Amino acid sequence: MELLGTWIAAFMTLAVLSFLYKDNPIFRFAESLFAGVSLGYYVGITLDQTLKPNLFEPLATNFSLNWDLMIAGLLGAFLYMRYVPRIGWIARYGLAIYVAYYIGVEFTRKLHGEVLPQMARTILPVRGFDFSGIEAFFTSPGMLALGAIIGTYSVLVYFFFSKEHNAVTRPIARLGVWFLMISFGAAFGFTVMGRVALLIGRLNFLIFDWIYPTFGV
Amino acid sequence: MSLFDRLLGIDRRWIFLFVVLAVTIPILAPLGLPVTTTGSTRAAFDYIESLAPGDIVWLSFDYGPSSAPENDPMAEGFLRHCFLKNVRVVVCALYPLGGLGLANASVARVAAEFPEKKYGTDYVNLGYKDGAEAVMRRLGENIEDAFPTDVNGQPISNMPIFQPKHQTIPSGDAGMGGNVAGIRTIGQFKLVFTVATGLIGEYWITLVNAQFGTPVIIGPTAVSAPKYYAFIGSGQLKGMLGGMKGAAEYEQLIARKYPQMAKFYRSTRLFTGTKGMDAQTGIHAVIILFIFLGNVAFLLGRRQGRT
Amino acid sequence: MTGLHFDTGRVLLLVCFGIVPLVGIALGLLAPSLRRQMPLIVAFVAGIVPILSLYIPKRFLSAAGEGMSPRLDQYLIIVAGFALPLGIVNVIQINARKVGRTEKGWVFSLVLLIGLLVMGAFGIYGAVSGAGIGFLPDGSSTPFQWMTDWLFRPLQATIFSLLAFFMASAAFRAFRARNVEATILLVAAVLVMAGRVPLFDLLAYPFPPLQPAAASLSQMMGRVTEWIMDGPNSAAQAGIIIGAALGAAAMAIRVILGIERSYLGLGKGD
Repeated sequence: MELLGTWIAAFMTLAVLSFLYKDNPIFRFAESLFAGVSLGYYVGITLDQTLKPNLFEPLATNFSLNWDLMIAGLLGAFLYMRYVPRIGWIARYGLAIYVAYYIGVEFTRKLHGEVLPQMARTILPVRGFDFSGIEAFFTSPGMLALGAIIGTYSVLVYFFFSKEHNAVTRPIARLGVWFLMISFGAAFGFTVMGRVALLIGRLNFLIFDWIYPTFGV
Repeated sequence: MSLFDRLLGIDRRWIFLFVVLAVTIPILAPLGLPVTTTGSTRAAFDYIESLAPGDIVWLSFDYGPSSAPENDPMAEGFLRHCFLKNVRVVVCALYPLGGLGLANASVARVAAEFPEKKYGTDYVNLGYKDGAEAVMRRLGENIEDAFPTDVNGQPISNMPIFQPKHQTIPSGDAGMGGNVAGIRTIGQFKLVFTVATGLIGEYWITLVNAQFGTPVIIGPTAVSAPKYYAFIGSGQLKGMLGGMKGAAEYEQLIARKYPQMAKFYRSTRLFTGTKGMDAQTGIHAVIILFIFLGNVAFLLGRRQGRT
Repeated sequence: MTGLHFDTGRVLLLVCFGIVPLVGIALGLLAPSLRRQMPLIVAFVAGIVPILSLYIPKRFLSAAGEGMSPRLDQYLIIVAGFALPLGIVNVIQINARKVGRTEKGWVFSLVLLIGLLVMGAFGIYGAVSGAGIGFLPDGSSTPFQWMTDWLFRPLQATIFSLLAFFMASAAFRAFRARNVEATILLVAAVLVMAGRVPLFDLLAYPFPPLQPAAASLSQMMGRVTEWIMDGPNSAAQAGIIIGAALGAAAMAIRVILGIERSYLGLGKGD
């Protein structure tokens, strides 16, 4: 079965890569199959890993303790009412709890986990400069602290769109844009590695798991 | 039409061919180029090294096949590192599009390398759960509420892995609901290691670490790694393995510390981060060349336009 | 009802998420103009409970196992489970229509539906039979795991790997130093790329006498990259994180208070 699986995987890999030459029916076959299999995957993991252990089994084994989980099941089922003509508005109840709950969690998560720690990071003593050399200067604690403060706050000034920038805030915002450009450039540099890694993985599979074993290398 | 104009107008399929060659040649003929260690990987490795035998850690597969070549080596390296140190590992998957399949495959692969490790005592796979943040909030109070069973449907309440370190369990009294106080919440874990693509890794940092205090190390894809430097700076992360390079660095640190792993990484047929770095170097050189050529042509064209 | 476990938290959740929706549905069936208000009450409670539970240590709100907040977390794991496959119905409707009418590309729609049904059937079988969707006790794969390993994983990985080619093409054709900002971006990108890999070691590979100098240069580039990431990049990312988080918090208040209703399909006038 593993040999069959390897050949199927190799065929699918080549079918998708054929798009690089030009769009063709074999690529579209692989693309459609991927879309279908992905959706079927959702069905399997949701049913076996979430609904069965967290809803059906607790109701079946200890209904007196878990009776209220039926409310969650009902609200989840309401989501599918959007596909029923004339009563699609019932789905609003499922959407309301789903969207609003996660928004509420995000509210505290963002403030506790992002805003406060990141702001605390900029409340740093600007001292400890080392002038013994270029590398020593730029990596000294004072320089890094100064960079963190200037960088973070100039970026925040740039993002303040409620009021038009004036003669004071405009150059600060421009500095913020430069910090952002450095960050985006760095992100591009990292993205190259990230995207190419996928290609390396596929070519590694084709060569070492398919071609080499097929030819007995 | 100048040479540069012709170069800029080249059919993009020639560029694709260059990319394939730049990646394939180093795969076929590895050069063994050196991999230097960065501070964030060293910090992650040192923290894991500081764990004691019997400590319990949480490994979350928060990525899918779309980033497996980067993230699989990180997750499996971490599992091997924990098994070498006799640290207990609880595994889960929170990424909907493929996390579970990868968790199952990686756990099976590494467990086969360590046959002395016992499922349910040294490691357990809790499987996948929908809801990410809702799951993490539940883990903060009661792990069993979020994961009543493991991936195979077995109740986790009686599993020895959730006993406190050095606790001997009287028969009939074990488990999370018993009289013996067990490991019930994520706050009792020594570490959460999240191997992530996308937001779920961030949730471990900004929700679990912020609200329950559990230390977090992240193994993100290279695409999302730049963002996490801010969390390292704020002390919310103990370390980070950034992309395939981070995975390669981590493997090298493990190999240097554990000679049996050096032998393993030299001889294994599995795809590792280290194996991918030669090809990464090749393609980086090609892309820098493309950027250089493109900009030279652009600047020359602009100067010609002015004159 | 005898034997059912009742506590304040569960009762309040029953009222807010059981009785209120049912009353709202009944009213909505009677008069369409009454279909808008009740979901907003549900949204308000669902959004405010997780927030208040962090700050108000009252038993009915945050007690382990029985408070409103912990039980609501349980509910949302289940609702999220229902939400994940929600799009499948739409996809089946669209593609089944295409196949039924033999529209252009109907064969590919059929392939999609077959893939969905086969994978879904294996998933349902695994859940219902108790065999699961991973590995069997003897170490062999269930049909679901087999399809995951040999169809789903290679397909997803290869589709995403196409990005490498398009990124290289874009770097060649579009990445230009047109102005100061673009030049800063370009220089940072090249420095980071050169520092992430042993580029100079690669260039000096055919020339052994140059290798020690190349190694030093690679290490220096690595330190430059580390400084860029820990310094300017980290500062900029902190600014982005703070700005985005404050925006998200403001949006959260608007949704919880019912000011923002577009997610329910309601406009400003509704």
